[in-house]
Amino acid sequence: MLEIKDLHVEVEGEGIEILKGVNLTINKGEIHAIMGPNGSGKSTLAKVVAGHPEYEVTKGDIIYNGESILELDPDERSHAGLFLAFQYPVEVPGVTNNTLLRESYNTIAASRGREELDPLEFDDYIREKLDLVEMNPDFLERSVNTGFSGGEKKRNEIFQMAVLEPALALLDETDSGLDIDALRIVADGINKLHHEDNSVVLITHYQRLLNYIVPDHVHVMIGGKVVKSGGKELALELEEKGYDWLESLATVNGEAK
Amino acid sequence: MAQSTRIEPSILHKLAKHLPENGSDRWAAIRQKSMQQLNSTQFPHKKIEEWRFTDLRPIRRTEFSHINDAGTYKASDIEKYFIPESDRSRLVFINGRYNETYSSIGGLGKGVTVGNLSAFSDDEYVKKYLNNLVNYEDDVFTHYNGLMFEDGVYIHLEEGAKAEAPIQVLNLYTGSEKPFIANPRMLVVAEEDADVTIIEDHIGLADNTYMTIPVCEVKVKQRAHIHHVRIQRDSGNAFHVSRPIAYVEKNSEYHSYTITLGAKLSRNEPRVVQEDEEVDFTLDGLVLIDGEQVADTHSVMDHRFSHAESHQLHKVVVNGKAHSIFNGKIFVQRDAQKIDSFQENRNLLLSIDGLVNTKPQLEIFADDVLCSHGATVGQLDPEEVFYLQSRGMTEEKAKEVLTYAFALETIENVKVESVHKLLIDEVYRYTKANSKPKVTA
Repeated sequence: MLEIKDLHVEVEGEGIEILKGVNLTINKGEIHAIMGPNGSGKSTLAKVVAGHPEYEVTKGDIIYNGESILELDPDERSHAGLFLAFQYPVEVPGVTNNTLLRESYNTIAASRGREELDPLEFDDYIREKLDLVEMNPDFLERSVNTGFSGGEKKRNEIFQMAVLEPALALLDETDSGLDIDALRIVADGINKLHHEDNSVVLITHYQRLLNYIVPDHVHVMIGGKVVKSGGKELALELEEKGYDWLESLATVNGEAK
Repeated sequence: MAQSTRIEPSILHKLAKHLPENGSDRWAAIRQKSMQQLNSTQFPHKKIEEWRFTDLRPIRRTEFSHINDAGTYKASDIEKYFIPESDRSRLVFINGRYNETYSSIGGLGKGVTVGNLSAFSDDEYVKKYLNNLVNYEDDVFTHYNGLMFEDGVYIHLEEGAKAEAPIQVLNLYTGSEKPFIANPRMLVVAEEDADVTIIEDHIGLADNTYMTIPVCEVKVKQRAHIHHVRIQRDSGNAFHVSRPIAYVEKNSEYHSYTITLGAKLSRNEPRVVQEDEEVDFTLDGLVLIDGEQVADTHSVMDHRFSHAESHQLHKVVVNGKAHSIFNGKIFVQRDAQKIDSFQENRNLLLSIDGLVNTKPQLEIFADDVLCSHGATVGQLDPEEVFYLQSRGMTEEKAKEVLTYAFALETIENVKVESVHKLLIDEVYRYTKANSKPKVTA
């Protein structure tokens, strides 16, 4: 489904390389977890896959469903079924959740050949999805993320994912800033949304999310590269040992490999 | 000193020789005073601090004619500007002159007097307040209006009177062979516990050059409420120079929302003067400009007594080579404690060639006050654009939605439904037309 090949990325115009040759393959129906210390490039990877204009791919490729998506705009990637849950969801005062989601849903539906929904049909559709993340209906009439608590913003991201039904969802630190109840709600929501035809990539610092969502594969990123991949037990090992023991895999004699 | 300076005659000074013909003695005292003031006041220029950023040469260089000599056209197809809520509470002025045919009065209930000022020149409140509330020192425009106005709006609410419908004041400006100057005038007196909503609209019916100088005096007595919406949709070649001033008494409220869309050059100087404690007032503004428009707001919120709450959100969207100027003065006099004053000027620049000058100006002489103020100038946040794009919107659509959302905040308190909707449509029209940055050659 998604194949990232030797991906090198710089911040546009700054010449600083953040990703230094990332390789990753995600198949349909799989859940992957990408872990790693701060500044290792995890969030950058997610944003680059979603098409953030701040980053420039200098080498390598991102293949999605057999085709390179490097030339696609973020909206085109979303139409193709990609979804990024933001680490810091953006506040959009004046645009209600309902308006944004109906607009998004219908745009994506049109481009994927699905039927568009009129406001009434959409209302029925969206209310089912609210239950999934235990959100109150009045949430729909509030401006997107405006004045939301950190936890509400993260839940809203998962709610959007539920409505848009992406084929591949990248969840960037969706667990950070959540208390234990909110974490459970969010994790339950993700589990319910995951099925054999879609894939989920969890980007996280902590093992605790993985107590609720069991990944098929765990990857560790350090210094802009994936330095180790393994099964779900790798997460536990990281929890126990930290990242220090893996640092040597990213460097040789103190220099980046 | 001003007295000894020779006054260089401007177009306003020259035109002052043609006094209005009809009813010229009705306002004789006001005219006489205004004439003296005009003749001792210099036409402003950029060396005066208050006019530093606003180039008035386009006004100075226009050969205005007296309205009777301008060859004005007939106003037609104007019913579309009538709002349904004001079916029986509408005053229509064409080029500053009252039009009885299109006006409709009578649906306001007990204790509310509404009409053309000219018919009320002997009214005790008109005698008491007209031209006595206006307070724009060294301002040729105010003095010119005082000298030349003929008709105007008169609204009086008796003690406890609540207007049953919003009052629509429709100022229409017609096409003309030559540029002219209109002098709309307005006096609003709300006695104790009265309540009224006023929708003041200025509309250019053609794209001709003219200047309008609306002068508005408002008196809000104890516990009275006034909701005042001002929409400026003048011709793209027009000049709009407005002077609305409100005096707020104890426990009263005055909330004003000014929406600036039209005119080639506009200068809006709203002022609110606190006359006693416990007042609440708003001076919000929304400015949407493009092309080579210049929109200037110089406001004054004068806190003279304790316990006032004041609010000023001034939002501006600039595209093309347009230029916005904002100067918001907040005065808190020495004995005015416990003031809670909010002022924010937010500017959204959609183009590289747009220009914004902003200057919040706080002069606080009391020590127990809470005054927050801020000014921001920026472009659309790329993170916000990316966020919406990642949810499937095209870049253009995302920008349109964000601009729309930015502008919408200032009009959400407009409580007359059809006007709120009309403003939403205006905002939508602007954002739709301006979602791509315009490069003007």
